[in-house]
Amino acid sequence: MILAAPVTEVTVFGLSSGAVYALLALGLVLIYRTTGVMNFAQWAIGLMGLVVYVVLTNLGVPGPVAAVIGMTSAVGGGVMAYRLVFRRITGSSQIIVILISIGIAQFFSSLAAFALGFEQFTRLQPWLPIVDWHVGSVAIRSSEIITTVTAIGVAFGFLLWFRMSRTGRALRAVAQNREAAMLAGIDAVRYSSIAWGIGSALGALALLLVLPHSAGEQGGLITVFDVTPFGTLLIPAFGAALVGGLVHLPMALVGGFVFGLSRELLVLAPQPWSEFRNSIAAILIVFLLLLRTERFFASRQELEALGG
Amino acid sequence: MRTEAVLEAAATAPAEETLTEGKEPRPRWRLTRAQLISAVALLGLAALPIPFGDFGFFVGQYALIYAIVGLSVVVVTGYAGLISLMPYSFAGIGAIVVGVAMASWGWPFWLALPLGAVATAPVAIFVGITSVRLKGLYLAIATLTFSNALGETFFKWDAATGGAAGWLVERPVVGPIDFGSDVSFYVLCLVALGLFVWMIEGLRTSRVGRAMLAVKDNELEAQALGINVYRTKLVAFVLSGLVAGFGGGLLALLLTTVTPSAFQSPLAEATSILLVTLVAIGGMDRAIGPLFGAVALVVQQQVFQGAEFFFAFVGIYAAVVLIIFMMYRPGGIVQAGKRLIQVTKERPALGLALWATILITNVGGSWLFLALS
Repeated sequence: MILAAPVTEVTVFGLSSGAVYALLALGLVLIYRTTGVMNFAQWAIGLMGLVVYVVLTNLGVPGPVAAVIGMTSAVGGGVMAYRLVFRRITGSSQIIVILISIGIAQFFSSLAAFALGFEQFTRLQPWLPIVDWHVGSVAIRSSEIITTVTAIGVAFGFLLWFRMSRTGRALRAVAQNREAAMLAGIDAVRYSSIAWGIGSALGALALLLVLPHSAGEQGGLITVFDVTPFGTLLIPAFGAALVGGLVHLPMALVGGFVFGLSRELLVLAPQPWSEFRNSIAAILIVFLLLLRTERFFASRQELEALGG
Repeated sequence: MRTEAVLEAAATAPAEETLTEGKEPRPRWRLTRAQLISAVALLGLAALPIPFGDFGFFVGQYALIYAIVGLSVVVVTGYAGLISLMPYSFAGIGAIVVGVAMASWGWPFWLALPLGAVATAPVAIFVGITSVRLKGLYLAIATLTFSNALGETFFKWDAATGGAAGWLVERPVVGPIDFGSDVSFYVLCLVALGLFVWMIEGLRTSRVGRAMLAVKDNELEAQALGINVYRTKLVAFVLSGLVAGFGGGLLALLLTTVTPSAFQSPLAEATSILLVTLVAIGGMDRAIGPLFGAVALVVQQQVFQGAEFFFAFVGIYAAVVLIIFMMYRPGGIVQAGKRLIQVTKERPALGLALWATILITNVGGSWLFLALS
């Protein structure tokens, strides 16, 4: 017999972590579609933004301001990575591109480790209000609700902008056919930079939403496990992107919630099944990979253009 | 003298570069120049840690074992063109199995090491089967996921891994040789690495190895040539698992304690990245590559382990070197070294100047950092 209260609490938590996966996944898909690079450095570039946030809040800058500056610096990191490296390797084999993107991940995570000073734990100040709301017997933390709402808002705003705005149209054109877009007078390099910038900002926002609020009222912690090239959240983010075949943005958003909810809701499952909580993401990813989800969302021609 | 050298180079070059049939049979007892050079290089390498004492041998063992595990990346990525981001997980299986076999069952090390290598086979076969369906990027994500899943299942299985305490492994004493001392264990690692390099380099020109290279080049063409792509990929992963598992077993013996936490996510992924990085820097498509990469990375990493600033510096340095090599010299140090030797032959003055610059920047740089820390 499952009580109502834990179900609600767990669902809220699942939604908030799903929203974070969705943000990471949207960034991955945007960059992959526009430039054909799977950004293994998504986490590490986001980490860079978080480090800027830590440094600024320690200096006494108010949290939300520091968060915005942190996101901006992540944009800088992403655009730099594209301009200095990925722009120059178009046409290289896919292994080379993957290795370089891993190199970028290592670069930024080492930089972050250096800036954080190699502590086992680094304390983070929260920048969202943390209050426990009690509705009947259910306790819901405000930061989780804000995280979910912010992430969904940002994601929908981004999708709408991608569909409607002039820049969004140009981005879609570059994603669909780079050569044709260039012939039509679209500056592919400029729009690829924009994609890298937005993708990195989404990554930084995801980290800024989850890590500073991970430990309740004391704020949050960055552990040594977070300061690695592929932090713990990048794998579910890959899974979320795979729900959309790595190319479909709205499905990546859905995928984020699939991964977030499945992980958290398994807590409620009876004993042998709840053990799968930590490996559910891996199981789902293998399933999605073997399903080859990309063929539902992209034509063979588009996939070949992406180098797959 | 000079013409002789040129003639000999001309005679040996085709055997190395292409597979021409019907070359002159050469007397068995005569060493080729390449063999002589590698023998001298091996001896030089064996002597390299001597001036640094015990610490030098410890770092040397680390580098050699990482080079052995790196060879698994050469087989699977360099030869067969399949990207694998889980070499350290394979090494972890080898290490844990050696730990169980020696600490719990009391097996001797010469039985435990092969068992550790073979124990990777089930996972390797599974990954190999997946790699038939998944290519490039998708395989990269899959192997990353497998590494994560192994960390959540096998490496959290207390009965096998010995829990948080891990397994205590004693280094063996074989006859008069006590492998408890760092010097003898270093020599053991060196011999193991030499054997593996010899085998993996031989694999490249063997039937299976050429099939792998063909699959890497173009899968459809390889199939049209009658190569069984499915079997080739499977063999590549099983071989890479064997090598990595053996290296992992040696790592267990080196550390004398095996704890599973090193193989759990995300530390396993981070170390796998380091391994792939060092292989890519050294040169993915030749068996000697990982050794160069290990010397370039692991030595720095171990030397600067204590000094935090420099430890981060090694991460940044490794990343920058990797990116620059992949952008301009994807063949790594092996390719760059070949080009440098060629330049030295054509324009000795320029070549010598380049060698001197490399030597001075490396030695001077290391000295500067050691002096500063």
